[in-house]
Amino acid sequence: MFDNIIKPVLIFIPLALIQLTVIPMISIAGIAPNLIFVLIAFYTLKNGQAYGIILGFFLGFLLDLFSGGLIGAFMFSFTISAFIAGYFYNENKIELNTETFFFLLIIFICGSLNAFIYAAVSNSNPDINLFFLILEEGLLPGLYTSLFGLPMVIFTSKKGIL
Amino acid sequence: MLKFLRRLAADYKEYILLIILSVISLTLLSKSEKPQAKHLKTFALGNFALLSEITNSLTSIFKRDISLDELKHENAQLMLEVNRMRKLRSENDELREMIAFRDTSRYPLIPAKVISKLVTKTQGNFIINRGSSDEIKKGMPVLSEKGLIGLIMDVADNYSVVRTLNNSNLNIAVTLQRTNVDGILSYDGKNLVIKDIPTTYDVQVGDRVETSDFSSLFPPAIPIGVVVKKESNVLGLLHIITITPFADIPAENDLFVLKVLPSKQINDLEMNLLKQN
Repeated sequence: MFDNIIKPVLIFIPLALIQLTVIPMISIAGIAPNLIFVLIAFYTLKNGQAYGIILGFFLGFLLDLFSGGLIGAFMFSFTISAFIAGYFYNENKIELNTETFFFLLIIFICGSLNAFIYAAVSNSNPDINLFFLILEEGLLPGLYTSLFGLPMVIFTSKKGIL
Repeated sequence: MLKFLRRLAADYKEYILLIILSVISLTLLSKSEKPQAKHLKTFALGNFALLSEITNSLTSIFKRDISLDELKHENAQLMLEVNRMRKLRSENDELREMIAFRDTSRYPLIPAKVISKLVTKTQGNFIINRGSSDEIKKGMPVLSEKGLIGLIMDVADNYSVVRTLNNSNLNIAVTLQRTNVDGILSYDGKNLVIKDIPTTYDVQVGDRVETSDFSSLFPPAIPIGVVVKKESNVLGLLHIITITPFADIPAENDLFVLKVLPSKQINDLEMNLLKQN
């Protein structure tokens, strides 16, 4: 119970603080990584799709509350992207999925989708075109987010920090 | 039947979960501006923002600081500007007195610090360390020393959420200072733009943009930015004007809340006009 429920929430709190205070300092032209999604993807690949959906929903709710944004936007985007990340879950390949560069690829794919969905549901300006949403609100933040999966691949592989 | 349903739930539990949780998320999203959701957000914000403030003070040592020389230089320029303004003010006061015009240009400023930021391309939000205990109210404009930053959207006891100009959900009535051309300023994810200005109107690169007299959100004449580009649409009838804000919005950390609210009298008059039409 501690490992699957309490631990991700405990890790979420400092990550959310970093996301809201430090990440803005390293954002490039408004493109910022999403550390919370790295956490959700990691736990989804470790515990499965259903677990990931619930975790994404819950952490999305907390991030919506703490960030002052629209309630439901992160909830929805994390839920959907955790569901997609769950397709990469394989009981026999947990290490391969979370401790190799394949993890970065999963984060890139699902992180891009997450950023795209978040932008699509929270934006009400009809002048913003789909190409912009896919490239600048989806792929680039996804790419940036995947870079933040790198330390996890390097440091968590054998030490079992998470 | 029960057995079948159980088997269905076991086989498709991920899909069922996804649908249920997605529906809940979207329902909450549609009710995000409702008072109950606002109360919940305000409560969470008030508690979490305290942690953000502590983290922010720790990380502030890494933030860019303006050097003393730069400040001295700016101070000298401001001193000259103030001197010039004083002259103009006395002249203006005399003229206003002559035509019995009411002075509406003085509003108190409440200094505030940004403690956290939500950075996305289209959803610029700040959280500042001033709230209802400092007499901040929803709808008050937020400025930096350079120009307009945004608008107070939610208020907790000691913290508030600011929707910045870099948010695609904020549209503002603006005017070009030189020619009094009015338009609606919005954010397209990259730039601040004013759309649908007829090409016959006099608009030039370098024109200053400020809040309009017609704005129901902001008091008039708050500086916003400067025109950097004007493009015509396909038919050549309308301009799209690109504005660069005076303030470096993503980098701002020290802000001021203008202690003014949209006039209820003006709003009531506008509502009456709408009803009559």
